[in-house]
Amino acid sequence: MGKKGFRFASIMLAAVLMSGSLYGCSTSNSGQGSSSEGQDGEVVTLKVLHNWNGSSGADTDMTPITRLIEEKTGVRVEWEYTKGSEAEKVNQIFTTQDLPDIYTGPAWGGELDSIIKAAKEDQLVDLSDKLDKYPNLANLIAQENVPPALYEKAIDAYGGKKYLLFQNQPATDKDGIDWLYGFYVRKDLAEEVGVDPQSVKTKDDLYQLMKRIKDANLKAAGLPVIPFGGFHNGWAVGIGNNMFYPTEYLDSGNGELKYVFMDNAYDNYVLYYRKLISEGLLDPEAFTQTDPIAQEKIKQGRVAILAAHYPAILDASKDYVKANPGSDYVPVGPLERAGAEPDRPADLRIQGNNVTVIPKKSKNVEAALRLLDFLASDEGFLLTRYGIEGTHWEMKDGKPVAKQEFFDKFTEDATGKARKNEGIGIGFESISGQDRLNSLGSGDIWADQDRNAAMDFARQILRPNGTKIITAFSPGDVITKSPQWENLKPSMDKVGDAWKEAVYAKSDEAALKIINDLRGQLNKTGLPEAMQFVNEQLKGKEVVKFGMTN
Amino acid sequence: MSSSPLFKRIWKHKIFYLFMLPGIIWFLIFSYVPLYGVQVAFRDFNFSGGFTGSPWAGFKYFNQFFDYYQSADIIRNTIVISLMKLLIGFPMPILLAILLNEVRVIKFKKVVQTLSYLPYFVSWIVVVTLMQRLLTPYGGPVNDLLGLFGMEPIQFLNNTSWFYQIILGSDIWKNIGWNSIIYMAAVAGIDQQLYEAAKMDGAGRFRQIWHITLPGIRNIAVILFILSVGSLMSAGYEQLLLLNGPATAGIGSVLDVHVITSGISQGRLSYAAAVGLFQSLIALILIVTVNRIARKVSDVSLF
Repeated sequence: MGKKGFRFASIMLAAVLMSGSLYGCSTSNSGQGSSSEGQDGEVVTLKVLHNWNGSSGADTDMTPITRLIEEKTGVRVEWEYTKGSEAEKVNQIFTTQDLPDIYTGPAWGGELDSIIKAAKEDQLVDLSDKLDKYPNLANLIAQENVPPALYEKAIDAYGGKKYLLFQNQPATDKDGIDWLYGFYVRKDLAEEVGVDPQSVKTKDDLYQLMKRIKDANLKAAGLPVIPFGGFHNGWAVGIGNNMFYPTEYLDSGNGELKYVFMDNAYDNYVLYYRKLISEGLLDPEAFTQTDPIAQEKIKQGRVAILAAHYPAILDASKDYVKANPGSDYVPVGPLERAGAEPDRPADLRIQGNNVTVIPKKSKNVEAALRLLDFLASDEGFLLTRYGIEGTHWEMKDGKPVAKQEFFDKFTEDATGKARKNEGIGIGFESISGQDRLNSLGSGDIWADQDRNAAMDFARQILRPNGTKIITAFSPGDVITKSPQWENLKPSMDKVGDAWKEAVYAKSDEAALKIINDLRGQLNKTGLPEAMQFVNEQLKGKEVVKFGMTN
Repeated sequence: MSSSPLFKRIWKHKIFYLFMLPGIIWFLIFSYVPLYGVQVAFRDFNFSGGFTGSPWAGFKYFNQFFDYYQSADIIRNTIVISLMKLLIGFPMPILLAILLNEVRVIKFKKVVQTLSYLPYFVSWIVVVTLMQRLLTPYGGPVNDLLGLFGMEPIQFLNNTSWFYQIILGSDIWKNIGWNSIIYMAAVAGIDQQLYEAAKMDGAGRFRQIWHITLPGIRNIAVILFILSVGSLMSAGYEQLLLLNGPATAGIGSVLDVHVITSGISQGRLSYAAAVGLFQSLIALILIVTVNRIARKVSDVSLF
């Protein structure tokens, strides 16, 4: 009996272990079966990958807006939002061939490079013979609606075929979003150390302000106040670069462009930040902290100066300011800009745009195009931004106005979930064609008045000469088309890391050695030849000379 | 002859072989089948060609790695960190097993044993988050404690002066309990009569450990040491990815993380496969060499 029991137990144990081992091989999305019928009258379910790190949707796939979109297009959308690196995600989906029916993600960096690679390697649906049926989509990639270098690099780069749709590019100058990136200081702390934030103009003024804050030994929540901090992984403490050089590719005077990393201006930029770290002015955890830790420091009132875009600062400091009136973050400066005349408008790159593609494995290309075309229409655009007309908003004097009931509901909800659960502010926004928020709509109708006032106040200070949207050719886009790019890219990808490593170096010499070592590698892997290519390609063309973070 | 003696023996002990089956299947699926992917290291991987259809590239990606300006630093960092883990971290579970074996209060022994295993089941991301909270100079309990003794706050993380201590300490803390299990089992297998005989001969605790316990677990320690040497080119991916930052990159960038970042973040799969293959080849050479040395010196070896 005992022997039988032992045998039974042995077999059971082995079976359990085996099933455990094999479980890992089972497909993880077996429960995600999505309908793929796509026949007339039937709803087609499409999986859309929204490849923006940290983006999120509603608590449920079916919101009032999603339902209306389904009624209009016959397409039901299942969203997948990326949590983590966008570049990793895009490489992962194409390598494993676990592809969505529609992909949408950033129109820059490694993410865009991988999408272009996928297009060249025949992974995406060629839209060139389909666009005549979808005018709203054709409009998105009309030459005049895409920045020129990007058009050559990503849109018209496949021998007449078209694979990428370009979304959220401002339709008019009025629509470009200025995120108001800059340095912001806590008003109460600036007063305490006796500095008028608007008197801070130069890099030395900024350094002195940080030093004064440190020397004042201020405390918050029982802990020392950090003179200068940022958000997760160092975002965006490095934006002081504009005080050292005007843009990434410098005009060396003789008409030749030079990559700024190879210039002395970059050394000065590195050494300035190294000084901030070594003197305890810049938070030593700034480059390694997670977002919750960064937010905690701000919410406890422990960071005096922040560098980021203003909406993020307003959101993060909202609770602290409410509990401690007068502790708002206000703009510093405007700070000097290397090489720019004092009356020069702020040169802004317009971000927020993204690319949308349909992988060849998409289960229903026609349905995907139908959905995208509807969303890119004026009706679709207003639906994704404002909600359903008559329910969430109404037209007054020819302009959309929020319904009070929803305005109050959304304002009260600090998490933003209430708005998302209606279907506003979720992934649909990214695939709703050109940004027409001001030209077609009436701006952000959901923003509360205090926030609008704060943004206007910051705009008046930081943009005394207004703004200018960059439309010239960017050498950064052109260099990726050089024959040396494959070898050069890994070294170029190291530039950001090398900067961070250098600012933590134990001495100025050690910092410059880190930079110089990488310069050697850039030269070895073909930067001079690639720059020659860039110079030849851009001869006679208007090139970006100034650029600010946006 | 209908069947060989080997199969007869296997059939006779089929229950025990059944126990081995999940392990064998695991190795087949996760270690042997993926070996076909090694060819990517010699191909220009593209999305349409995949693992088997991409064009051949020869040693292009191996050359790229050795031409990379930081490859020597990365290899050096990997070996330094792994060697430290091997030389300092390896004896720790043996020490814990011996110490626990000497504890006579069974309840206390069980509690200590259980507590020492627990960190093994905590993922590195949680461990590192805990460390960030404990060690931060901004109100972390460790620095608060140092403050009570009048000391200035110390930036433990992201600091080259403390990097090795943090890496080694957290690795030992996390793995010591789990790794000691096998030694505990080996110690438990030692014939108790040997201890009684030693006692009668007047041997004290230390003499018993030196002459009975240590020789009793020697074979298993040698085998585990040989296996550990195989990971000399692998310093610990998750731990280093999370604990290494820009300030410590000069001494903390290791092969495992380089493979992951170049492969997954930059999409250079062929390059990453080439570096990974190089890593594995060195590991294989090390295992074979150490195995030979062990066989000559102590008659104990893996194969």
